[in-house]
Amino acid sequence: MYDLIIIGGGPAGVAGGVYAARKKMKTLVITDSFGGQSLVSDSIENWIGTKSISGWDLAKKLEEHLRAQEDIEILEEKATGIAKKEGAFYVQTNSDKEFGAKTILLCTGGRHRKLNVPGEEKFEGKGVVYCSTCDAPLFKGKEVAVIGGGNAGLEAVIDLIPYASKITLIVRSGQVKGDPVTFEEIKKSEKVDVIYNADTTEIMGDILVSGIKYKELETSEEKELPVEGVFVEIGTMPNSDIVKDIVDLDERGSVKIECKTGMSSVPGIWAAGDVSDVLYKQNNIAAGDAVRAVLNIYSYLREKGK
Amino acid sequence: MVKIKIYSTPFCGYCKMAKDFFDKNGFSYEEVDVSVDEQAAKDMVARTNQMGVPVIEIGDEIVVGFNKEQIEEILAKAGKETS
Repeated sequence: MYDLIIIGGGPAGVAGGVYAARKKMKTLVITDSFGGQSLVSDSIENWIGTKSISGWDLAKKLEEHLRAQEDIEILEEKATGIAKKEGAFYVQTNSDKEFGAKTILLCTGGRHRKLNVPGEEKFEGKGVVYCSTCDAPLFKGKEVAVIGGGNAGLEAVIDLIPYASKITLIVRSGQVKGDPVTFEEIKKSEKVDVIYNADTTEIMGDILVSGIKYKELETSEEKELPVEGVFVEIGTMPNSDIVKDIVDLDERGSVKIECKTGMSSVPGIWAAGDVSDVLYKQNNIAAGDAVRAVLNIYSYLREKGK
Repeated sequence: MVKIKIYSTPFCGYCKMAKDFFDKNGFSYEEVDVSVDEQAAKDMVARTNQMGVPVIEIGDEIVVGFNKEQIEEILAKAGKETS
């Protein structure tokens, strides 16, 4: 029986693991990868203490920091379920193993939000792209659409400018929500068009993508745009499936946490980072929130042990 | 040993994860950077209908994305056939 099982290997999971090891708690970290969602970023420039680092290098550093802790156990598998039995928690993994613990820290992060329109699933990897840094070079000389006016959408446009022949940024509201610094840079490129107040309704094609349909929200008129690539960047969804029947979730599916401690609605389960309902999805916030949660778990176990 | 070829781009984290996996497990592989090799990019799309990396060829099998379980399965099968 572990004191603590941490699920996830992003900045939250690793920060939690480092602190748990220093508190000499008997801890198991279950994760199938390190680095979290920033893994695919070519340059992270707001990880405090580091001017610029690639997502890959950050992942390596996080993994190295965790492995340097004495007595921490790491299992490179995917957690597939959590059950509560007689005051303890049991985590199942993809190889049908099961591990018991007194407490759980859930750091499972988030994943790409999908458009949920006809054609999206059919053409995933066939013109529908969720990783612009990975796949932008494959769209050399092609016309593409980027869906989403937040930072991720703007960064996808930046990734595409050196390759695509024309980029149409489709924004649902009347203005972009991403950083003005990035948008100023985009506006300098003659390749980029922005369509505001538009809702993407369908992705069309045969074997590969050939275009999209979108509705102009002001006129309700449906229009078509011929493109060979559709870069979907409309935010993230919390990876909370494994606890959805155990703890309270908000309307987005994020694990509700008590902001002072990070504890969920179920005593014994904490959450930190993008899977929680904390405001702002950031590496630095995820790390700090996991630290707070682990310190609170340490107090909780000491209280229980008295 | 089974022939492995990875189609990749420089900033693709999943491509690096795949290469890391093969390195750790002692498999050698050929890497093709499709951001500079346009002909290879066209070949990859034509053969696999995939416009995304990584695409990994292991012998005659094709794996789309870094699907560790699928790769392990193919490698185990290939290992049995050669031994």
